[in-house]
Amino acid sequence: MKKRILAVILLLGMLTTLLAACGSKGANPEKRREANEIVIGIPQDFDSLDPDHMTAAGTKEVMFNVYEGLVKPTSDGNIVPAVASDVNVSSDGLTYTFTLRQGVKFHNGDTVDMQDVLFSLKRRMSEDDAAAHLAALDIIADVNGQGDTLTITLSEPSGEFLAYMMNVFIIPAEYEESAVSMGTGPFKVVSHTAQDSLVLERFDDYWGTAAKVAKVTCKIIEKADALVRGLQSGALDMVSHMTYAQTSQLKKESFHVEEGSMNLVQALYLNNSVKPFDDVRVRQALCYAIDKQGIIDLAFDGYGTPLGTSMFPSFAKYYDASLTDYYPHNEDKARELLKEAGYPNGFEMTITVPSNYQPHVDTAQVIVEQLKKVGVTATILPVEWNSWLSDVYGKSEFQSTITGLTSDNMTARKLLERFNTKAGNNFTKYNNSDYDELYAQAVSCTDDARQVELYQQMERNLTENAANVYIQDMADLVALRAGLEGLTFYPLYAVDLSTLYWG
Amino acid sequence: MKYALKRILMLLVTMLIVSFLTFAAFALISGDPAEAMLGTEATPEQLAALRHELGLDRPFLTRYIAWLAGFFTGDLGTSIRYRQPVWELIAPKLEVTLCLCLVSFVIITAVSIPLAIWSYRWVGGAFDWLRTAFNQLCMAVPPFFTGILISWLFGILLRLFVPGDFPGLHANFGRALVHLFFAAVCLCIPRCAMTVRMMRSTVIGEMQKAYVRTAISRGNDRRAVLTRHVLKNSLTATVTFLGQTMAELVGGSVVVEQVFGIPGLGRLLVASISTRDYPVVQTVVVILAFWVVLAGTLADLINQRIDPRLRLGGDA
Repeated sequence: MKKRILAVILLLGMLTTLLAACGSKGANPEKRREANEIVIGIPQDFDSLDPDHMTAAGTKEVMFNVYEGLVKPTSDGNIVPAVASDVNVSSDGLTYTFTLRQGVKFHNGDTVDMQDVLFSLKRRMSEDDAAAHLAALDIIADVNGQGDTLTITLSEPSGEFLAYMMNVFIIPAEYEESAVSMGTGPFKVVSHTAQDSLVLERFDDYWGTAAKVAKVTCKIIEKADALVRGLQSGALDMVSHMTYAQTSQLKKESFHVEEGSMNLVQALYLNNSVKPFDDVRVRQALCYAIDKQGIIDLAFDGYGTPLGTSMFPSFAKYYDASLTDYYPHNEDKARELLKEAGYPNGFEMTITVPSNYQPHVDTAQVIVEQLKKVGVTATILPVEWNSWLSDVYGKSEFQSTITGLTSDNMTARKLLERFNTKAGNNFTKYNNSDYDELYAQAVSCTDDARQVELYQQMERNLTENAANVYIQDMADLVALRAGLEGLTFYPLYAVDLSTLYWG
Repeated sequence: MKYALKRILMLLVTMLIVSFLTFAAFALISGDPAEAMLGTEATPEQLAALRHELGLDRPFLTRYIAWLAGFFTGDLGTSIRYRQPVWELIAPKLEVTLCLCLVSFVIITAVSIPLAIWSYRWVGGAFDWLRTAFNQLCMAVPPFFTGILISWLFGILLRLFVPGDFPGLHANFGRALVHLFFAAVCLCIPRCAMTVRMMRSTVIGEMQKAYVRTAISRGNDRRAVLTRHVLKNSLTATVTFLGQTMAELVGGSVVVEQVFGIPGLGRLLVASISTRDYPVVQTVVVILAFWVVLAGTLADLINQRIDPRLRLGGDA
């Protein structure tokens, strides 16, 4: 008997040694540093590598390094020439003249010419490819490309036209999605394995400042705690969008955590067309009853910036900080307003939450507790993301929901246009004639100062009428392996890989 | 021969029903691939145009029949999300999941059968309750939890494998196998516990039968009776149970693949359901149905070899 036990122990020992011998040759941060490579962990797969078909923020932020438009954003929120070397706008705001930059190359080595630019632009203007069609370009009346000069004439002036041009990525003429993805950015795509990884390599013929690391592998790992373990095990060097609870599991000497903001408006969005939220007093009561700072402290460990309207601080020009405390936390006031509105004993409501976004679920749980104190009984209804898109966002079949809305092109308009009555994506069914009037004026305004003023008035309108219960701009915590430096935050979804380097 | 025909027919019918139900489920739940592709930026016109492009505006039955016709002519269709032939997408994942299930199955068989025999000796002992409690615990513990524990202990502390870095079967088979081994351990624990419990109770039941008493009264020692007669008689039940295990392993692999970052079929299925990528989901579900029926058939065939009585009973 004893012999047998001994044999088992010996066998186990041998097995362990064998496994250790096989396992230790795995990913090693030191080796990657020597080879000037990094591996980043991302929580979802790429929805498409076609620049005109990608919709997920997680895809856009990585492909930011692969594709460029005639113009592109900078980290401080400006729009600068990229594939074009120069942009001129006529004084009436109707004619845009772009001069192509000399010698810009695609990842296959071909030089970008006018044909490619026209193809890229027309692909987004045409309605043949529904997914690629960019409705904001409908105001283009005429496109004329001669030599190196592209002239675009608009049918009406637009203050945001350049911002939309940022998302017209330049791709080779006759590009097909099945082909290898091909852009002009500092990184080129080497391979994409569905649900596993995307491999990028530095593009050595890049027209601008070349990237510092030679190779970036994006590992797709859906589970948040598997991402944390990936960092700990040495498999990953960087993970974005982490929570405080996750970053606190990492050793201080091996990792550093950078804090940026997610640039989104997280709110309890209310369906303004259904009872009881069609009554402004009820909406205001909720604003008084919900304690934003309480949510940030309890569910986000104090990280996050409280908001009071559909705008976040990164858009400094448009952001009106005075609206944040328009409804200070006050339960008595909330009860009073509910009584006035005819709900002295409160009411019951449901909060629909996309269950795959843990931060929103956590927020909902805190809100349920806070609302209880003023007599409102809220129930959380978790739904899958796709059902959320279809039922809540598409058909407005909801009472209230928690989500974060972003602006993918650095314009204030993107954040505010969905609350005008005619907007196809006005899922909150906000209906306010003053707001519609302001919006109509703002979009056709070419005077920047006046436009900023109009947008600020719209923000105030949303706050005063308590369109939604605004909560916060969530913090974006990025964990990087010690020695990996150069992270730059952008006011839109972008992870700039070209500035990262091993220090 | 008759048996084989019957089995193949059953397989076809099962796959047909399963594929139809999946298709119907997709028609019933809210959200479609067009919405998943366009996200929050979608306009109603864009949605309508994309639905037309993808053929989603055709009636339900037309779409199903079109899919079925494609399936039987070997055209599994194209993934809506990845715009890649479904088979090309699925084949590498299937490989990984099969490996994971195979490793798990070997572990379950190698561990639970000796463990069950060993545990039989505890029956009536002073510490039997402790063993039962431990068995219950193993059955109840969810794989995602053991997964976290195992990757922390063996991955981060002992560095036997690198969590988050599955090297791929072809790139480095040895290292991939080690990675799969730990994932398989986590997948196996509850199934092992179940197999032990099942087998133990079968053995206890057999031991109370008259032939055992006779054998013992004729002077055989208990142990010899156990190995020579009782085990043989409890084998059919065990094989049936292992067949079920084989089928259920695929289901369990979904969670384990996520926790260990293994690019397998389960993860693909979950992701494809959430993006409503129905050509992929349809094929994966049919493969799973095939797998389940196959496991059952294999168990049946093995049982017929073990126990001639099942063969004499004909096709019943």
